Amino acid sequence: MNRLPASIREDFARAKRLEWRTLFWMSTVVAAMFVTMGGSQAMRSALIEDVLSLVPAVTFLIAARFEPKDPTEKYPFGFVRVNSLAFLVAAVALTAVGGFLMYESAMTLIMAEHPTVAPVEIFGHTVWLGWLMIAALGWSVVVPMFLGRVKLPVAERLRDKVLHTDALMQKADWQTGLAGIVGILGIYFGYWWADSAAALFIAFSILRDGLSNMGIAAAELLDGAPRELDSSSISAEAQRLQARLEELWPQGEVRLRESGRYIVGTIEGVHPPDDLPKLDELMGDDPAWRLARLSFSPPQALRREDVG
Amino acid sequence: MGIKGNAFLRPVGTIASAAILIAGLAACAELPRDPNGTTERIRRTHEIVLGDIAGTPRSPDAERVLERVAARLGARVTRVEGHGENLLNRLENGKVDLVYGHFAEASPWAGKVHFGRPLGGRPDAGKEEHVPRFAFRNGENGWIALVEREAR
Repeated sequence: MNRLPASIREDFARAKRLEWRTLFWMSTVVAAMFVTMGGSQAMRSALIEDVLSLVPAVTFLIAARFEPKDPTEKYPFGFVRVNSLAFLVAAVALTAVGGFLMYESAMTLIMAEHPTVAPVEIFGHTVWLGWLMIAALGWSVVVPMFLGRVKLPVAERLRDKVLHTDALMQKADWQTGLAGIVGILGIYFGYWWADSAAALFIAFSILRDGLSNMGIAAAELLDGAPRELDSSSISAEAQRLQARLEELWPQGEVRLRESGRYIVGTIEGVHPPDDLPKLDELMGDDPAWRLARLSFSPPQALRREDVG
Repeated sequence: MGIKGNAFLRPVGTIASAAILIAGLAACAELPRDPNGTTERIRRTHEIVLGDIAGTPRSPDAERVLERVAARLGARVTRVEGHGENLLNRLENGKVDLVYGHFAEASPWAGKVHFGRPLGGRPDAGKEEHVPRFAFRNGENGWIALVEREAR
């Protein structure tokens, strides 16, 4: 059975198609970069960043396979949060690679290693490899910029963090490509350090992505309040819901948390009312599907006061 | 839409203006430039210092390339003979401009110096195979480009 709200199924399918397309087009970028890489450290960092930018897409596709599945005996709450887990893993990997690349480029800079970019022969012409590198880097700017732009609105409608981060990272990829081009031009004009400096900049951007993604993933894994997609502040939708619930049950304590793309709420210290309102009505003008579950916990519920 | 349009045009515009700038600069300078100025120095001193690895027979292909490079820069070739490690070390430190010898592409020296393409029409040589070629100091991209172009 497909356990997705009917109203987001179309966007969900679209997101999956977009991610498959991402895998294809980004592979062409990676291939172009790999073929022309040569001795440039900036190019190496940019290549690694482009390979890493496949990770959120793969993460999304894996999670998308699990998410609509029925709960099982071992996973009675279903698989809504698979993408949070995958996202954390991806963020940790990103951070580690970013840190490693920063070390590597800093060492190249300190050791004053001069990058060699020699001419190559293609179709009987001798061409300076740097020009091919710049062409590949240009391609690596154009492709993700378009993909990122198309994905962003879908991610916002789906309240999907993985997809959103993916879109943002891709939108920002032009900085990486541009830094790489500056590095290669630096080599062209005899400034050997420009290359490792550009590599350092790229590595820093990978590290920054990794750290901010880790923060986002941690917020959800710790049952944090629902967050905005683009910041760590509590989402306006959740705040409106909280106000509505507090108005309906002023004597209870309302607690909302995020579970995958959904909001789950508990109202503590209140008996479930006899005339329960419809779940859909509680969201007001916001998309009704977001509120997945609301439970009531009566005052006499067994609960330790010193935990949570 | 206006802001998004700009965000796309900004990098494109930067790349385009950079390309124009480069084209302009390329017209009036010898590029790519050597960070340690090998080509400029040879033009000034009219001397190319070649490291000849002891025991390597002189090849007509290498001699032809050297002649052409020397003619282009108005220089003559000064030969210093030595052992492999020693010459490659001196190449790394800029005491020698290039070294001729039989080197494999997968040589352990491959990261420390730059090995040019195989001489004498052997582009299909295996990675482990020792073939005649020049070795250059890393990063002297203009110098490498100049010699490699003559080696075609």
